This record gives sequence, structure tokens and C-alpha cells, in this order.
Amino acid sequence: MIIERILIFLLFLIGFSAIVAMRNIIKKIFGLNLMNAAVVLLFILEGSRIGSQAPILDDGITHMVDPIPQALMLTAIVIGVCVSALSLALAVRLYQATGSLDLDVITKRLADEH
Amino acid sequence: MIIYIFILSLILALGIFALASKDLLHSVIALSAISMLSALLFTILRAPDVAITEAAVGAGVSTVIFVWAIRHTQRRDKEGS
Amino acid sequence: MKALTHSKIILTILILGLAILPVILSDAPWPVQARDYLFGNAKADTGADNTVSAIYLGYRAMDTLGETLVLLVSITGTMSILINLGRHKVDEEAVTFSLEPEKLPRHSLRTNLIEVVASKLGPIVLLFGFYVMLYGHISPGGGFQGGVIVASGIVFLALGTELKTKLTNTIVLSRIESLSFLFLMLASISGVFFESGFFGNPVKTMQNLSPNFIILLNIIIGMKVGTSIAVMCIAMMGGSHDH
Repeated sequence: MIIERILIFLLFLIGFSAIVAMRNIIKKIFGLNLMNAAVVLLFILEGSRIGSQAPILDDGITHMVDPIPQALMLTAIVIGVCVSALSLALAVRLYQATGSLDLDVITKRLADEH
Repeated sequence: MIIYIFILSLILALGIFALASKDLLHSVIALSAISMLSALLFTILRAPDVAITEAAVGAGVSTVIFVWAIRHTQRRDKEGS
Repeated sequence: MKALTHSKIILTILILGLAILPVILSDAPWPVQARDYLFGNAKADTGADNTVSAIYLGYRAMDTLGETLVLLVSITGTMSILINLGRHKVDEEAVTFSLEPEKLPRHSLRTNLIEVVASKLGPIVLLFGFYVMLYGHISPGGGFQGGVIVASGIVFLALGTELKTKLTNTIVLSRIESLSFLFLMLASISGVFFESGFFGNPVKTMQNLSPNFIILLNIIIGMKVGTSIAVMCIAMMGGSHDH
């Protein structure tokens, strides 16, 4: 049980290090997606330990999985893809304005124009 | 459980590959594969609603917008780490 | 200089690791009271068999309203950046970007295989999407899932066919999206008239156990999500070609 948590924690750290350390903007957005995936995995994994059946009320269901983390993670997945779409549109607009995807080059070229 | 550890380590390896690759299209395919493996893991963990959402959104909409962004900028990562 | 940046990055990652470590090492038991309460009362309170649908469309419908609002804002922002994407270039030729499908440029990679497979698979995917949307209260599925699958079906149709249809016309799709948001507002205010509060389910005041309100909300949310994502994807496909 603790090995799975450590693996998800490593995925979260790798996503965070991509946001901080990579110089390409698109790779930073990859890191954002990876962090989102890690959090969703952690919640669903922890919520499934207290039961053994899917949370649909049919006949013969006695011991179902916790349904509250699943309802919260539905919202989280949709909001994650919305944030990705808007940030990618902004990255493409930045590339058109300055001609490069490197963050240092972009700040230098934007400062030179003024 | 051994199957959870196996799928999670596959997801971790794909994540490291997505960040270290120089061709951005390979990284996008790796992100789509991470979504597929996550959907499989959610089905094993008895969460069918989340599995359908993750499969439709991660492998459908998210891949389309990433490929669109790469198409209008560069495909290779020229800047290094 | 590079060593200083590297050491700052490593320090940041270490501090984050130390801050999250109590979550990894804690062994507090997961609480079970919520699951027990929902097991007994979810069907009586909302009328749905799917407990997850009962939570995000019945008990916590305000969260769904907020999420629909986030979707609306982000897709509006993305579309406004998309449409103005070609207008700021000064030294390239005129960009062939347009939202009407009959003016989409014909690429050389559009082979017969893509056209036949996509246009034959499109209606099947649309049918599956409507099924998942309408049966969200008794089987896994619901508004969001069905909506995204309907959006994929519309993208298939836009990729495959040569002639224009009403389903891939972006003006028609955006009108459906605005109408669905209006109906969502009307459905949420209707709870006030049935004396069950804002976004309230009328099952509590009438004494029959029917899932009609949940089905109505599923259809409205599915149409909204589906058409807005389809408009964004069709606008992305008809973009300019450079490089």
C-alpha cells in the first residue's frame, strides 16, 4: 500500500520538476498534465480500499466503494483539460509574437520591443 | 497488489519518457498512453464513471489540442533541458 | 551560474517533497460514514441508481454549475485566440483560415481510407454517445461522458465527409450551446418554484420516485459540453498551414 503511494508521489514530483526546470513552454504544460493525473490517481486509489463493488445500486450490492472521491475527480479531470487548452492557445500566440518557444528568449524579445 | 504496482510503474516510466524526449510528437503519444493506462487502472479499481471520462477526455480531446499546438509551433525541442 | 540555477531547482523539489511527505506516511483510516449514508438514502433523495450521478447532480449540483461555467469561459477564451491567430502576421501571405467547412483547404494527406472510415464510423459513435448520455442514471455514464463522446462523433463527421451537413456547421453548433446554457439556468431556477431550493430536485416534495430531473440535467449538460468541444475541435482543424 505504501509502494503505490510512493510511485504516485514520484509522478507528482516529476511533473512539478518539469514546470520548474524545463525551458520549453510545451514541456511545462506536459508537467501540468502529469500533476493532474497523479492527483486523480491518488484519490481514486485511496477511495477504493473500503469496498469491493462498483457504486451502482443494483440487486445484491452490499459493500460498495466510496463514491464521493469519484464524483470530485470527474470535475477535476474536466477542469484539467480546460486549463491545458487555454494555456496551449496562449503558448501558440506567444510563439507567433516572438518566434521562439524558449522562455528566456521570449522575455528578452518582448523586452526589446518596448 | 501486484497489478497496481505494475501499472503505476509503467505510468511513471512513460512520464519520464514524455519529458526527456526531443521530439514533441512522441511525448504527446506518451501522454495519451498514460491516459489509457489510467483508464484501465480506474476500471480495475471499480470506478467506471471516472474511467469513461478519463478515456474520452484524455485520449480524445487532450491529444487533439496538443497535436494542434505542436503543428502551429515547432515539432522538435531545440532548447535542450 | 548554471550551478546556482540547478541548486535552486533541487532545493525547490526537496522542499515540496518534505511538505507532501506526511500524506504518504499517514495511516489514518478512510472514513466510512459517507458511504453508509449514501448506500441507504441516495435513491430516496434523488431517484437515481448511479450513486456518483446522485452526488454531482443532486447533492452537489452547485459544483456542476461551477464546472460548466469554467468550461464555457475556457472555450470562449481559446476560440477568441484561435480566430485572431492569423491576423497579426505582417510578412507572410494571407492565411486561409475560416470556420465554414466548405472553405476548408483540402490537404494532400486526406486519403480515401480516412474519408471512408471516418464518415462510416461517425453515426455509430454519435449513437453510442446519446446512449451513454441518456442512461446515466442507471448505468455508468451521464452528461459529461456522453457529451465528450458526441463531440468525438461530430469530429469524425467533419473529418470524413466532403459535403457540408448541419451537424458540422459551427454556427448551428454554437447556437445549440447557448440554448443549452439557457436551459441549464432555467432548470436550476425551477427548484425555487417547486419549493426545494435553488437547483433542488423536485423528488423530495412530490412523493414518487422518478429520475426525471436527473435525466433532464444529463441531457442539458451533455448537449452543452458536446457542442462546445466540437466547435473548438472543428475550428482547430481548419487552421492556417505554415511550416
